[in-house]
Amino acid sequence: MEAAASIGRRFLPAKSFFEQVGEMMLLTGRTIISAIRPPYPYGEEFIGQFLFALQLCWFPLLVSTVAICFGAPGLQAANVLNLFGALDRLGGFFVLAAIREIAPAVTAVVVAGVAGTAITADLGARKIREELDALQVLGVDPIKNLVVPRFLALMLITGLLDIYALIFGITGGILAELLYSQPLGGFFATLFSNASVTDLWGSVLKCTLFGAIISVVCCYKGMTASGGAAGVGRAVNQAVVISFMGVFAFNYVFTQTLLATNPELQTIR
Amino acid sequence: MNAWLEIPRGWLDSFGEIARFGSRVAGLVYSGRVLKFFGESLRQAGILILGSALIIWGLIFVLGLTCGIEGAYLFRAQGAPAYAGLFSAWCDLREVLPYAFGYMLSAKVGTGIVAELGAMRISDEIDALEVMGVQPVTFLCATRLLAAWITFPFMYLVGIGVMYFASYLAVVEQIGDVSSGGYLLIFWMFQNPLDLFYSLIKGMFMATAIVMVGCYYGYTASGGPVGVGTATAKSMVLNIVLVHIIGMLGTLVFWGANPRAPIGG
Repeated sequence: MEAAASIGRRFLPAKSFFEQVGEMMLLTGRTIISAIRPPYPYGEEFIGQFLFALQLCWFPLLVSTVAICFGAPGLQAANVLNLFGALDRLGGFFVLAAIREIAPAVTAVVVAGVAGTAITADLGARKIREELDALQVLGVDPIKNLVVPRFLALMLITGLLDIYALIFGITGGILAELLYSQPLGGFFATLFSNASVTDLWGSVLKCTLFGAIISVVCCYKGMTASGGAAGVGRAVNQAVVISFMGVFAFNYVFTQTLLATNPELQTIR
Repeated sequence: MNAWLEIPRGWLDSFGEIARFGSRVAGLVYSGRVLKFFGESLRQAGILILGSALIIWGLIFVLGLTCGIEGAYLFRAQGAPAYAGLFSAWCDLREVLPYAFGYMLSAKVGTGIVAELGAMRISDEIDALEVMGVQPVTFLCATRLLAAWITFPFMYLVGIGVMYFASYLAVVEQIGDVSSGGYLLIFWMFQNPLDLFYSLIKGMFMATAIVMVGCYYGYTASGGPVGVGTATAKSMVLNIVLVHIIGMLGTLVFWGANPRAPIGG
């Protein structure tokens, strides 16, 4: 009996993990239903959250994408292409690197780290000041009025910021090309001949779904924060860790599915 | 217009203070004054290992899988699937591993430090330490930095193993265009111990920056429970950007002028 209880305690973290994942799924379902079913009181909050996320994200995202695309795919790939004397092929590589992988991943990291943490801190502070309970007593549904606008706003902004990240990612590639004092004509020629519409919509769709994951995780962690001052900080910590894991695990599944189901992406033009 | 420039302005405001605070903490570690609290350092190191190691390796594993499939499909398109090891080797060791390490460190360790120290600051525990004659910066921040320096190199080296295993799994077992021997031949040919050392330096610079930023924002948190949440969010923003900038500078310095590849003369 004693031994069984100790084994049970050992699996307690796993149990709470699965419970939390289940509750996040439930929150996702409730949010989607609540977003579709009238009335729609969340318009103003939606615009507010959208602008808030945009104001927070635009600068960190700009610096991050230029830096990572200049370093990782830019310099490293230019190094190896330079050995073969085929630096113009860097543009073709950027379709794979910047459009398919790095722009969505960096957008997700920045949105989770910047807007997601802000959302968790905001909702968590409201939770421990019992404002959420007060809203419920007043007959205001916190899911419809707080979670739905954040969910929709974060989904939309992450999808749109993907395009923004992509533009600045390619700017990083251009900087790498200029570092090797190459004319840019070859870069753009291979970039545009290799880029396909499937790649672009795949990238934007992936990023939009990243936004959904981030917003659900961050709203859930904010709304279940407990334990005073330390609790809000801990909630932000857990929210960003879970978002990262969720986003990158989903990224692997999505990339594999996209590449396996669209063989035309794999031809070099 | 003010709301749009809030973040860059905040960085400009606090950059000097963070640099001063960080160098003070590093000085305390370097001068050995932190050894007075060596037991606390070891305790912090234990917390880092037990609390963060698995989740960091988890993220590294997932990114290793992604690196593997991207490389396998890229070289299948080139008609040279045997060379998937080139992409994996560079993607894993040189670029993605430091970034993955930095991301998870800033998410798990950086924000964790802010939440912990911020809560101490809010509940006046840091002032209490000072009253008791314990130097709070040494006891709270320098011990954490020392713990990070003790723990993270080993965690990073194990992470390299985890990532190599994940890429191998994706390229050889999952996609299966190349035999195990063919993959490993190219994979090991395109890296050498110096690359590993450079990559480790990159990762350690990121780790140091993240711990310093975390300590700064936690130590100077104010404004009640809400303040702790805000400070945690702020530290995360700065950490992400620092990770990317350190990664770029590392690539530029270590591999910018020398590809270190066994190609050509």
